[in-house]
Amino acid sequence: MKTQKLTEQLELFGCIQCGKCTGGCPVARKTTLNIRTLIYHMLVDPSMDVDAHQELWDCTACFTCVERCPKDVEPAELIISLRGELVEGGRVPETLGTALMGIFRQGNPSGMARQDRELWAAGMEESLERAKGLATRARDASSAQEECELLYFVGCIPSYDPRIQPVARALLRTFEGAGLHPGTLGTRESCCGSEVRRMGEAGLFGMLVEENGELLRSVGARQLVTTSPHCFNTFRKEYGLDGMEVLHYTQLVARLIDEGKLTFPEPSEARQEEHRTVTYHDPCFLGKQNQIYDEPRAILEAIPGLKLVEMDRRRERSLCCEGGGGRMWVEGTNLQERLAFQRVQEAAETGADTLAVACPFCLLTLEDAVKVQGLDEQLRVMDIMELVDACGAMPHVER
Amino acid sequence: MEQEPRIGVYVCHCGVNIAAAVDVEHVARAAAELPGVVVARDNTYMCSDPGQALIKQDIREHGLNRVVVASCSPRMHERTFRAAAQQEGVNPYQVEMANIREQCSWVHRDKSRATEKAGLLIASAVAKAARLEPLEQREVDVTPGVVIIGGGIAGMTVALDVADTGLPAYLVEREESLGGRVAELNRTFPSLQPVSDLLQPLIARVQDHPNVTVFLTSCVSQVDGYIGNFEVEISGYGETGTPAGGDPASKSGTPRAGLSVGSIIVATGYDVFDPQRTPELGYRDYPNVITSLEMEERLIQGDLTVDGRRPERVAFVKCVGSRDARLGNPHCSRVCCMYTAKQARLVREMLPEAEVTVFYIDVRAFSKGGEEFYDETRSQGVRYRRANVSEIYRKRSAPGVDAGLAPRAGAAPVLLVAEDTLLGQPIEFEADLVVLAVGMEPRKNAGVIQKLLKLPRSADGFFLEAHPKLRPVDTAMDGIFLAGCCQGPKDIPDTVAQAKAAASSALIPLIRGSVPVESASAVVNGELCAGCAMCADVCPYDAAALDDLWGTSRINPVLCKGCGACAVTCPSSAIHLQHFTAEQVLAQVDALVE
Amino acid sequence: MSDPACEAKPACEAKPACEAKPAYEAKPASPEPRFEPKIVAFLCNWCTYTGADLAGTSRIQYPPNVRIIRLMCSGSVDPTYVLKPLLDGADGVLIGGCHPGDCHYQSGNYKARRRTIALKEILRGAGIDETRVWLRWISASEGQRFADTVTEMTEFLREKGPNPMRTEWAV
Ligand SMILES: Cc1cc2nc3c(=O)[nH]c(=O)nc-3n(C[C@H](O)[C@H](O)[C@H](O)COP(=O)(O)OP(=O)(O)OC[C@H]3O[C@@H](n4cnc5c(N)ncnc54)[C@H](O)[C@@H]3O)c2cc1C
Ligand code: SF4
Ligand code: SF4
Ligand code: FES
Repeated sequence: MKTQKLTEQLELFGCIQCGKCTGGCPVARKTTLNIRTLIYHMLVDPSMDVDAHQELWDCTACFTCVERCPKDVEPAELIISLRGELVEGGRVPETLGTALMGIFRQGNPSGMARQDRELWAAGMEESLERAKGLATRARDASSAQEECELLYFVGCIPSYDPRIQPVARALLRTFEGAGLHPGTLGTRESCCGSEVRRMGEAGLFGMLVEENGELLRSVGARQLVTTSPHCFNTFRKEYGLDGMEVLHYTQLVARLIDEGKLTFPEPSEARQEEHRTVTYHDPCFLGKQNQIYDEPRAILEAIPGLKLVEMDRRRERSLCCEGGGGRMWVEGTNLQERLAFQRVQEAAETGADTLAVACPFCLLTLEDAVKVQGLDEQLRVMDIMELVDACGAMPHVER
Repeated sequence: MEQEPRIGVYVCHCGVNIAAAVDVEHVARAAAELPGVVVARDNTYMCSDPGQALIKQDIREHGLNRVVVASCSPRMHERTFRAAAQQEGVNPYQVEMANIREQCSWVHRDKSRATEKAGLLIASAVAKAARLEPLEQREVDVTPGVVIIGGGIAGMTVALDVADTGLPAYLVEREESLGGRVAELNRTFPSLQPVSDLLQPLIARVQDHPNVTVFLTSCVSQVDGYIGNFEVEISGYGETGTPAGGDPASKSGTPRAGLSVGSIIVATGYDVFDPQRTPELGYRDYPNVITSLEMEERLIQGDLTVDGRRPERVAFVKCVGSRDARLGNPHCSRVCCMYTAKQARLVREMLPEAEVTVFYIDVRAFSKGGEEFYDETRSQGVRYRRANVSEIYRKRSAPGVDAGLAPRAGAAPVLLVAEDTLLGQPIEFEADLVVLAVGMEPRKNAGVIQKLLKLPRSADGFFLEAHPKLRPVDTAMDGIFLAGCCQGPKDIPDTVAQAKAAASSALIPLIRGSVPVESASAVVNGELCAGCAMCADVCPYDAAALDDLWGTSRINPVLCKGCGACAVTCPSSAIHLQHFTAEQVLAQVDALVE
Repeated sequence: MSDPACEAKPACEAKPACEAKPAYEAKPASPEPRFEPKIVAFLCNWCTYTGADLAGTSRIQYPPNVRIIRLMCSGSVDPTYVLKPLLDGADGVLIGGCHPGDCHYQSGNYKARRRTIALKEILRGAGIDETRVWLRWISASEGQRFADTVTEMTEFLREKGPNPMRTEWAV
């Protein structure tokens, strides 16, 4: 049985069964998923019947367990591997199968047409062409006049989902404005595979790493910036893109503000009146998994007339929105309670009128929760870039 | 005078320590073929009595005049084997060691290559041994007296034991008072004796003892010399340049005293883990989440209220900052289980109506009376739940939380989120007061002491003893010893036991009155010396000087410490360093390079 | 040119999948054994030799290419100690002493430094590659540093290839 080898491969013998993983697991409290007991099974009787564990699909890959384990065991990796067993046997929830097929065929989980991947840039065709040109031309160095120093990886959801597309536009505008010469891959861009790996489809992920990696390297950019913390995380840790600085946009934008390359207009009298109170939700893939807590807050605090208030569960203790690990495409075993419901309640309790996020998945799950919970009068969910855009941030360059 | 070398080679298995990586039988067989070797053997433990007896017997039976032992570092057992050989009339300086453990079997896993290397190291030692000359063992007088760094319970114990023998003890403490961490505690397990009963008489004895000199707000700023004769400079303590105590002279660490002593004892203790490094536990976010050391303070004050209210549910979280690889503290702190039981019991006494729960991973009550104390604690109604608390937070809707935006409201209960691993169920546990049982860490300034005394530290950051079992208070530096928690976490009984061991080890050379020193000195061949006096220029100890009558150099063997600088400098090659002659070294090179 | 080991390398550079898993460091496919340099090390008793012992007690692994000779001080390393192994075909010589200011005999390591600089000059003049001689300060508490130094030096010499003296003098 294959599961037997996993105990050694994943070094589960280090586990002392302390339960810190399950204790911190956001879904353990609502479903039967118990990662510690799974590990225990693997230790004492590894011939596990994976099919009996449908709750494996509940994990959001938030990696809280990995971050907290005192023995450097990586509990979530066991879930990913066990999912791999299910995937190999073709025993995948139907909706997940569709998402994986979409990625395989069209390079995105929604299965939308590849040639539509650049529709996000509607209304900014000129910028898009320039950016695409940069990313192509740099390939043969001879013809390159301008070097593509910064490659902007848009990502699947920001490319296709009309709710997120404005975030991508705001980013391109900001980068260009700050004189950064961003390049982008246009229709050549494919899914980064972050969620593919976490759904257990190691084969497809390997293929994506190979193809994407080659394409990304060929541009020769020094920096790679992403809209989504999920793309950022996998490029940073799982692609081996040596020599390329992989950044999440919050890092880059905070840097631009810090260097004075991005400034905000003094709010007019009228606007000063309507100042916003904003609370910020730390995405798991940005915060817990990459320790990026300060940059998003620095951006928010730089916006004039904006007041930042904190939820009790913030930074390392942020509550997962349940959008990761493939959970965008599968409901899991407990349909009733959603962590996002709890999360938006916590946000509303701060008295904030806006819940700021820095992740496309968080934006979708939390906004949905606000609607279902009937909080939409009270609370708006917005990406940090939308807030930056709305106050008319001015890139500080002479044109 | 020239003896034909008759060499015995002894290859040690060191249990499996060497044998696991080196084919000892093979290298012993190969050694038997080397020139001058009369007998070559392997043995499980050469340092054991039967191992030594083997050497002695061979010396008698085979008329050996040289011995080569291939085993651990000469720092470990050179003395042992020299003594064994000497008993049978072989000059101790005709014993050579091949270091095939520390510098071979422990650092290489590839058995065939480790075996090859061990063979070469043995050949090199044999080549040297064949050329070794007999020497006379020399001794130097020691300066009586011990410097003790750190005035906690360990340091004070050492000072008193030393002083009671009539020798001077110099106790250097950086704070304004003696006592260390113990002075911050309330009562101690397992007797629940108030700390003041324990500490005050001890401090008084130290202060009144005619043979103890206490330096407060002081630190050691410089150390020269070696076992038997250390020169130690004491300066005012103030790491940041600000005065740490009353004496204005201490402002920028001005020197206060220069001491000559025979031994040094390090007793600098430990720091407690700062739970701000485990942000998931909400320390500093909530005033009712405190550390165990802060709890001791509260117990001393006799005040457990939170914002004026008596807590109804008190929770203890164990192993905070211990047994945790991600924080770089893989070690168990050894005291938290017991002091938590102690604190839990004191809380039960002070707040009989309160519910007291201890969250633990394992309970380690190994000390004498420990398990009994733990039994008593449970029977008094303290609840133990097996759970490693994963997160602490507060529900905004919890009673007492300000309606406003600040999440720092005082007395509101917090939620401990964990899995009760015996139930196999995630739990949320509400508590009014949470005590984090923080573990022990090396002192933040351990690096300063490490540099000053050239002491190695183990992977956990505490100072490293010379041998984990056989030399637990010695260090790699002769004449420097460890006492108390600077060597690793300990409770008070273990600290005191170790302090007493360190005191007696430190006293050995002082009571003996002399220590053996390297007998090898540099020797001039008057016939080759041209009288250029370059050796006199380069000698750091003024041991070399031209002879008034002959105009050639003479080296005073009492002053010479055997560094060999003169031998390299001499343009006429008239000087050789005993025991490390060019002939010997080049023979080793030959053996190593093949 | 069809040596699989040769082809494997550039392919690896282009293929991200390979780079993503540096853990599975590729073993050379060719049957020819790797060049294993021979290093003779002269270590002072008080610092570097003790540091090497600490690497042992801490079980820090390093390549077995180094063979250690214990001396009392780096200041007693005679130029012939360095020359002889190089002429006899050793691929490198490591001299290890205490950090500046820490020499057990006050200034032996400064003497070693001065002498090594002069010696390297001579080696250059004699057409011997002076980068094969390393002088490093490693204290008794720097076991990791000792292991790292040996690893680094082994890699460096492996890259460099065998000491040409080895063959020249053999004939
Ligand atoms: C919360 C808590 C409760 C505990 N309860 C108990 C208990 O009930 N029973 C029990 O047996 N044990 C208990 N312990 C353990 C106990 O504290 C230790 O065993 C004891 O303090 C060890 O003594 P020490 O002298 O080795 O170190 P320390 O007490 O740390 O003393 C070291 C001293 O050295 C000084 N120092 C440090 N660096 C320098 C320097 N560079 N120069 C000069 N001076 C320096 C320090 O200022 C300090 O005075 C408890 C520990 C904690 C954290
Ligand atoms: S946190 Fe780590 S050690 Fe504890 S039960 Fe989970 S995997 Fe095991
Ligand atoms: S990754 Fe998150 S959801 Fe998955 S098991 Fe770990 S803590 Fe639970
Ligand atoms: S004793 Fe180490 S260099 Fe002199």
